Amino acid sequence: MSFLWLLRKETRELIASRAWWVLLLAMGPLVGVTFISAVFTYAEASGLNGTTAGVGEAFSPLIGIWAPTFSACEVAAVFLLPFVAIRLVSGDRQSGALKIEAQHAMPSFARIGAKAIVLALAWIVASAPTAAAIALWKGYGGSIYPPEVATVALGHFLNAGLTIAIAAVAAAVSEHPSTAAILTLSVTVGTWILNFIAAVQGGVWERAAAYTPPAMVAAFQHGLIRLDVVLVAAILIAACLALSAVWLRIGVASRRRLRESALCGAVAAAAIFACAFVTPSWDASESRANSLPEADEAALARITGPLRIEAHLAPEDPRRVDLDHKAIAKLRRVMPRVEVRYVSATSIGLFEQTSAHYGEIWYELGGRREMSRATTAESLLETIYDLAGIRAPAESDEPVFRGHPLAVPPRGAAAVFYGVWPAVVAASALFARRRG
Amino acid sequence: MLQVQNFSKRYGRIAALTDVSCSVREGEVLGLIGPNGSGKTTLFECMGGVLPLDGGALVRGGRPVTARDRAAMLFYLPDQIAPWPAQTVRWAIDFAIGFFDGRADLRRRVVEELDVAPLLDATIGSLSKGQRKRALLAIGLLMPHPLLLADEPFDGLDLRQSREVARTLRSYASAGRTMFLSIHQIRDAGRVCDRFVLLSGGRARGEGTIRELAAMAAARGTSAGDDLEEVFLALT
Repeated sequence: MSFLWLLRKETRELIASRAWWVLLLAMGPLVGVTFISAVFTYAEASGLNGTTAGVGEAFSPLIGIWAPTFSACEVAAVFLLPFVAIRLVSGDRQSGALKIEAQHAMPSFARIGAKAIVLALAWIVASAPTAAAIALWKGYGGSIYPPEVATVALGHFLNAGLTIAIAAVAAAVSEHPSTAAILTLSVTVGTWILNFIAAVQGGVWERAAAYTPPAMVAAFQHGLIRLDVVLVAAILIAACLALSAVWLRIGVASRRRLRESALCGAVAAAAIFACAFVTPSWDASESRANSLPEADEAALARITGPLRIEAHLAPEDPRRVDLDHKAIAKLRRVMPRVEVRYVSATSIGLFEQTSAHYGEIWYELGGRREMSRATTAESLLETIYDLAGIRAPAESDEPVFRGHPLAVPPRGAAAVFYGVWPAVVAASALFARRRG
Repeated sequence: MLQVQNFSKRYGRIAALTDVSCSVREGEVLGLIGPNGSGKTTLFECMGGVLPLDGGALVRGGRPVTARDRAAMLFYLPDQIAPWPAQTVRWAIDFAIGFFDGRADLRRRVVEELDVAPLLDATIGSLSKGQRKRALLAIGLLMPHPLLLADEPFDGLDLRQSREVARTLRSYASAGRTMFLSIHQIRDAGRVCDRFVLLSGGRARGEGTIRELAAMAAARGTSAGDDLEEVFLALT
């Protein structure tokens, strides 16, 4: 019963916060800009206004519409949502309500849990313009493949969950909301720096960067659900909320809270390390953009020995990006035991081009080695079949994804996102204010 | 009912409380008296469990009080707070009763006695200091805990309101509620409290009724009579 009262209180506090209404108000135009621009580009590539028809025939709404449209959620999650979360957590400390609520026997984790639940629901409400975008797209006659739209939405929901949890821990640790805001944005900037280092240095940095919010969102935007990424995100969210709960226990000595925080961090780190070995993933994209052809997957599944790949390519070499994203990422989904090692003396590889071995990709399977310089999925498969001594599967007659071109301009979208949505939000804000 | 045993608390180099001990008896109104900066709020926050102690313990029946026991036994009403500032007084009272499983049966009576009815539809953030104090006292009186710790319950109230609030607090004490009130205005304390704990410089300088404290002062060679102010000055 007390928890229900707490949920009601957090909901009222959310509705009373200006940060929440600013988030709601901004979401319409943000989604509008990205959706309208995506639909225009998609339409032009599909032959609108005299563009050569057929260019966009392989267009997938996942890449052409949903990834850019939902990217508005990423912007909102980074720059607006933290302030809503900080307001909800810091508000109690600032007003003194925390001193009253903390006297209840309810565990601190339940109290922060109530805030997290309300904030998660708030995010779902704030994401309503993306639902409007889906409805508009359907109205234009566009194709919708629900699993891929749901995957993109899930990615952004997890990203919002991470943002909420990080903002909550920042607000719980710091005395003032402005400090919490700086801490939260520092974490965001930190992940950007990590991504940059990963792109330049590769190696361990690259593996760590796969779990940063931008990388996580990118995977979901391609229709790929990786269980390890989902688990790591869930662990990080739980760990941050647990840390917030520890630091909201204002009656407990700082030393004890530090010890509990260290324990919490250690448990989370161990769990995240364990998750790095979890391999299942699901390709939710209609075009199977993250998978090799089904016949090849079946053939590769029969290869039992460990496959080692040694690629002499620098982290910033576009060929390495090609090899990694278009071939090895797909291969890993079928052969989790594949070991990949990149060798390079520099980060950009520009001055290594003259080296005799630069660009070589060595494959080793069952004691046999073979070298190739091609970075496509087809050449990778060919080399593996050679090494394994098996015949490449015959051309399959499975249906090929042909795309869903749609040469329709975004009619009515501007009115919905720039007119109707802000008006509805403003009217709701006024109504909520009058009702108290 | 409850013993404060050797409470110690430091803020860096400053000792806010040093070996403070006192006891709270069931059904009494105990006054914590001391000048500004004497450690009254720190003592209450430590008792209320919203500030960690460096040393000492809260004891009941010879055993240290656990966090769960404390949550069931006492409610601390802090001074200088404006909780849930965007919410109305009506909602804040309902929330406090619902969240702490408070005394809904006393709601109307408390609201009337503390003259909170005209404030019910105002937001807490819009109230004056005195109005906010009355609204928060209403919340405190509606809590189900047998012991209420109120920090400066008369702060911000005018003379008439102070007398009315004192009368209300006494009536609830007569009905069996125990109260421990931190008061820096000694005259206010004398009006409402049965016994007193004198705090100065973070140390307890005396505990008892006015007569007991006067006797302590006399034992130190100061004749203070029954005037609490004189007794306080003599003992601190």
